[in-house]
Amino acid sequence: MISLGSYLAISFALFICGVAVMIARKNIIAILLGIELILNSAALNFVAYTKFVNNNIDGHIMSLFIIVIAACEAAVGLGIVIRFFQLRESVHVDDAAQLQN
Amino acid sequence: MHDDPRFGRFFVYLSLFTSAMLGLVVSDNLLSVFIFWELMGFCSYSLIGFYYEKEGAGNASMKAFMTTRVGDVFFLLGICAIWSVVGSVSFVDIYNAIGDGKFNNLYAIGIPLATLAGFSIFLGTVGKSAQFPLQVWLPDAMWGPTPCSALIHAATMVAAGVYLSLRMYPLMEIGHLTTLIAYIGAITAFGAATIALVQTDIKAVLAFSTISQLGYMVIGIGVGNYNASFMHLITHAVFKACLFLSAGSVIHSIHEQQMPKMGGLRKKLPYTFFAMLLCCFAIAGVPFFSGFVSKDRILGDALYMAMHSPVYIPVAILGFGGALLTAFYMFRMLFLTFFGEPRDHHIYDHAHEEHISWNSNVPLLILAVFTLGIFYSGSFTGQGEVKLFGEKYEWFQTLIQKPEAKNLAHFKDYKKEEFGFEDTRVKDGWVKAAYDPNYGLPEEEAHHVHVAHKIGAAMSVVIAFLGIFIAYLMYITKSMNPARWTETFSGWTKALHNKYYFDDLYINKLIQGAMLPFNNFLSWLDMGVYDRFVVDGWEKVNRVAYKMARWFDDNVVDSGMVDGTGASVRLMNVVLRTVQSGKVQMYFIILIVVLASYVWTLTV
Repeated sequence: MISLGSYLAISFALFICGVAVMIARKNIIAILLGIELILNSAALNFVAYTKFVNNNIDGHIMSLFIIVIAACEAAVGLGIVIRFFQLRESVHVDDAAQLQN
Repeated sequence: MHDDPRFGRFFVYLSLFTSAMLGLVVSDNLLSVFIFWELMGFCSYSLIGFYYEKEGAGNASMKAFMTTRVGDVFFLLGICAIWSVVGSVSFVDIYNAIGDGKFNNLYAIGIPLATLAGFSIFLGTVGKSAQFPLQVWLPDAMWGPTPCSALIHAATMVAAGVYLSLRMYPLMEIGHLTTLIAYIGAITAFGAATIALVQTDIKAVLAFSTISQLGYMVIGIGVGNYNASFMHLITHAVFKACLFLSAGSVIHSIHEQQMPKMGGLRKKLPYTFFAMLLCCFAIAGVPFFSGFVSKDRILGDALYMAMHSPVYIPVAILGFGGALLTAFYMFRMLFLTFFGEPRDHHIYDHAHEEHISWNSNVPLLILAVFTLGIFYSGSFTGQGEVKLFGEKYEWFQTLIQKPEAKNLAHFKDYKKEEFGFEDTRVKDGWVKAAYDPNYGLPEEEAHHVHVAHKIGAAMSVVIAFLGIFIAYLMYITKSMNPARWTETFSGWTKALHNKYYFDDLYINKLIQGAMLPFNNFLSWLDMGVYDRFVVDGWEKVNRVAYKMARWFDDNVVDSGMVDGTGASVRLMNVVLRTVQSGKVQMYFIILIVVLASYVWTLTV
């Protein structure tokens, strides 16, 4: 039997990884991947808590929502990245420091 | 007038003057009287200086304004004195206060306050009506256009002074000023008449005769004949306006004001001659003319007072003497102008033939008709002796009633809102004030009055005809040579030509001699002391204060507060600019740190 602590540990590890990726990497696509990791850690937390604490399907529904939102976010994010690449021929995040063109 | 420049301006001044005069007459309080009084003074000033291209006109206007100002200042002081006692400047309130005895036992610098206030107000009269010490401005006022001389300086404005004293008659009475007023009037009446004897300018004769006649009105106030003074004011206004306009007509016709260059104008100017003749009869006091009625009433009362108290004897003598001189100089003027042979044929031949016209001589004739005594009194002398009509033979005396101090308590029941619709005053005193040939005196005493008046009337008639006769002898039959008289009394003649040296006294002695050094002293005080020490010293104080203020402004306000605000904003700007770098990852780090610290504070 896998305990709640293990789930949370993995979730925590995923979260830390995601944050680390978002902070450390300069590639926008990599940052988007970091965001995916964070979202997944949150989804894992929901599933773990709903299994061990209140035994209903609220957490599952939330995690499904998170997956859908992550997909949407990836689609929108990647769209922005493609457009940005067309403008600047770069996916480096520090090139996107300006509000104006 | 029509060809003169500033034709419109003349009528502006004249209209303003007329409105001010109307305002003065309808005023029911001293303050508005004063305001309109000053307005008239201004209009008079502007009209005397109307031909300001001539230096004399400018000087004359200045002189008139400054001389009347002396009286006006006292008038204002008198108003203040009255206001301090009565608490109001309304005539009715003043009469009430006098009737209530509010002025009793009030002293200012040892003089009864009523005397002080009355004297101050009388000095206003002296200035405006050109009485004895302040008479110098009126002859010079003839620099103005002739219509304004007729209207302002003969008929209306100068009479305003007398009118004021008449309105304030109860105050003069309780202030015991009547003797002084009678003396001032007598001196003026006689002195001005003597000066008029030697004048050669036709308007100057009329100017001095105006002063003289105003003197008679003031005598009327002084001897307590309120009504006669008022009557003389009105009769004089009529005949003197007519005389001035006649003189204007003569001047207009021959373009000459000097009487020695006239003569024989009777044939050229028949209507003007007729008007002037009637007016001369009136002013000389020939029976059946207005001047006889009013002047005889004043002189009769002067005689009555002289019979009762010796103090008034000089007044009566000067009054009758002035009447003799008046008859003489008026007919001298008439004879020199209209009779005899033309003395300057050039002027005579170029004189315009007179035709009757609304613009020039019809007004004269209308005024001349009103010099008849019948318009003012239905009796022969105005005293009710010889009645020309039935019951209502003294309508003027019935209309105008004397406010006497002893009767003034009746004003208490005066109600403003009802006045004019229903007379709410106590009737007794007013019924008595209606014309009574005995003046409310017992029969015994009234007899003396009537005797005095009869003697006065007889003397007036004799004097008037004597004056005319002397003038006739001198200037028509030439059986008396005026030149011999002027040589015999050459010192006097010189004094008369110089108007008793009053101009010299005022201008050279008083103004140049006394006022100018005082003025210089004041200017030294101003420039040398106030300017140098007070003003310049204040400048130094200000300079130091300015330096301190500037230092404070530069260092504290500007550097500290204004620049400090800027610097703090700039500092904040540096911080905020660093935060808003546009680097998404930095935002994220901040977000994480903030969230972490928030969670940490929650748990701890």
